[in-house]
Amino acid sequence: MPVITFGEAIRQAYSEEMKRDENVFLIGEDVGRWGSLYRSSKGLLEEFGPERIKDAPISEAAIAGCGVGSALMGMRPIVEIMYIDFITIAMDQIVNHAAKWPQLSGGKVKLPIVFKTQGGAGRRNSSQHSQSLENWFVGIPGLITVMPSTPYDVKGLLKSAIRNDNPVMFIEHKALYFEKGEVPDTEYLIPLGQADVKRKGDEVTIIATSWMVLFALKAAAKLQDEGISCEVVDPRTLWPLDKETIIQSVKKTGLCLVVTEAPAEGGWSGEASSVVHENCFRDLKAPVKRLCSPRTGMPYGPVLERQIIPGEDSIASAVRDLAGEARRK
Amino acid sequence: MSEMLLEELYGEMLLLRRFDELCLALKMKDLIYSGYHPYEGQEAVAVGFCGALETNDVLLSTHRPHGHAVAKGCSLEAVLAEMMGRQPGCSGGLGGGMQYIDTENNFYCGSVVGSNLPIATGIGMAIKQQKLDRICMCLFGDGASNTGSFHEALNLAAIWKLPIVYICENNQFAEAMPAREFVACERISMRARAYGLDEITVDGNDIEETRRVATELIARTRHGEGPFLVEALTYRLRGHYVGDPEATYRDHEEVELWRQKEPLIRAKENLLASGVNETALEDLDKTIGERLSRVRDWALDQKFPTIEQALDHVWIPLAEGETTCL
Repeated sequence: MPVITFGEAIRQAYSEEMKRDENVFLIGEDVGRWGSLYRSSKGLLEEFGPERIKDAPISEAAIAGCGVGSALMGMRPIVEIMYIDFITIAMDQIVNHAAKWPQLSGGKVKLPIVFKTQGGAGRRNSSQHSQSLENWFVGIPGLITVMPSTPYDVKGLLKSAIRNDNPVMFIEHKALYFEKGEVPDTEYLIPLGQADVKRKGDEVTIIATSWMVLFALKAAAKLQDEGISCEVVDPRTLWPLDKETIIQSVKKTGLCLVVTEAPAEGGWSGEASSVVHENCFRDLKAPVKRLCSPRTGMPYGPVLERQIIPGEDSIASAVRDLAGEARRK
Repeated sequence: MSEMLLEELYGEMLLLRRFDELCLALKMKDLIYSGYHPYEGQEAVAVGFCGALETNDVLLSTHRPHGHAVAKGCSLEAVLAEMMGRQPGCSGGLGGGMQYIDTENNFYCGSVVGSNLPIATGIGMAIKQQKLDRICMCLFGDGASNTGSFHEALNLAAIWKLPIVYICENNQFAEAMPAREFVACERISMRARAYGLDEITVDGNDIEETRRVATELIARTRHGEGPFLVEALTYRLRGHYVGDPEATYRDHEEVELWRQKEPLIRAKENLLASGVNETALEDLDKTIGERLSRVRDWALDQKFPTIEQALDHVWIPLAEGETTCL
């Protein structure tokens, strides 16, 4: 099976979906000439022309509005917001319009928009270019929120997101674009709303999102050598949440660690923990534990940045604590 | 303008005036639940501009939408039922008087000031890209012209030469903030220059002028000459909402002065001067009154939406039969 980067997987998804449906187009800052910040639309301007790969000025509200307006007219826009931090400027369109108009129309209006953006730390961009803001969207009725972690997942999920008739928040991680993985050269889709068990295990369930999945897998490999068997669950879609996969895993292991790069307070990690507590309370050997970034702005520079966000070592340590707590009982 | 057309437009404005009065009365009886934003005095903008569109043209309106909606062709019944929160309303009674959608008439409104300009840009972009024989019109107020969305949307529409007529319905007040104090330029149309567009200000209380300019600009927009930005200068004769503390931001004398210049008085004077019989206009008023009574009685009989309806259409389920609210 071919091994490609996360960014190339996105490019393939764009290209395939744009060939499949002429209503699909991409709009955003530098999506054409640059081929997007991390080159995930490289070469598409030449392939599809400026009508379908639309470079837009630095006007996030207008770009998002173009998404809503063109979707209203039957098109299927992919709206790229270069950094999730800039989505603040576009929130009105997403929250007040994209998420509301289908319901206000009694289901007559469909807004098949993919709001595609990237967030998180890893490139030393400090507090206005490194945020994890996915929690906001999970809290808005009417939106689907997707956070892929591998090249295989991003391609299959992006293709499904483009074909879906709901507005979808598609949040990539800036540290993942050059990660490589196997991606089949035959077409496939990954359904939205389905979690993936990235590693099987039977002692502790680690629920991790986006970049954190990679660290969780590394930690799980290390812990295996120490005799702790971890199952790593990647929800892939934060909402609607595949509760079944999570519940099944925790019922088996009886221990659960939730890992997100976003701070814990008021976030999706609390939602995931509640799902476990509400459904697996009697199976739990210890309360669910969360490992998230502390409640602060992302510090500048490589050393502090890595210290702030969860990583392989802190995940392994949290799992050891959890397993130790259970064994003491 | 022919006397016949003027009489027709006068009738449409009178309908909006009487409809507004009916809504006010219903608001006073607490049968309209949210804040009610009266439209009195601005009828020549709705009838002049919105009434000049074809059904398949798209109209984006504001938090003061009922005049625009009716002039665009939405039924009085559906608009009133929506304001009264009843099932046959444009949005099933779930949107209320500030946000509703009528897809058959291509009418959309929302209650966040300035938000509709970027959506209009997107609609214009899609119309141009798909080579459709349609245009988009977007109405907003003087307040919206101070938002960032105004600038972003107009710049983009101008660089891409989109088929959109943007109408700034300058009623001189953004809630309690007078445009003369809160808008940095003398006329809002001056802002058009920043996007390479012509400065166009019309007397928004003169139905003959609004309709003439609307007809011309809509035709030019269809021929690919858009976008246009028009300032229609009018005056909000009532408060931002019913019962707002008006004394905090304007004098009674100022309102009375503008009341002399309101569009219905002016159109009526012109009609009478051209020989139209006053009795005919009184008969018209009576007919409108009877029609509105029937609409009101009908609306009062309509059901409210259920909790099940309030939970429906939030999203399109991923799998057949899935019920989770997204």
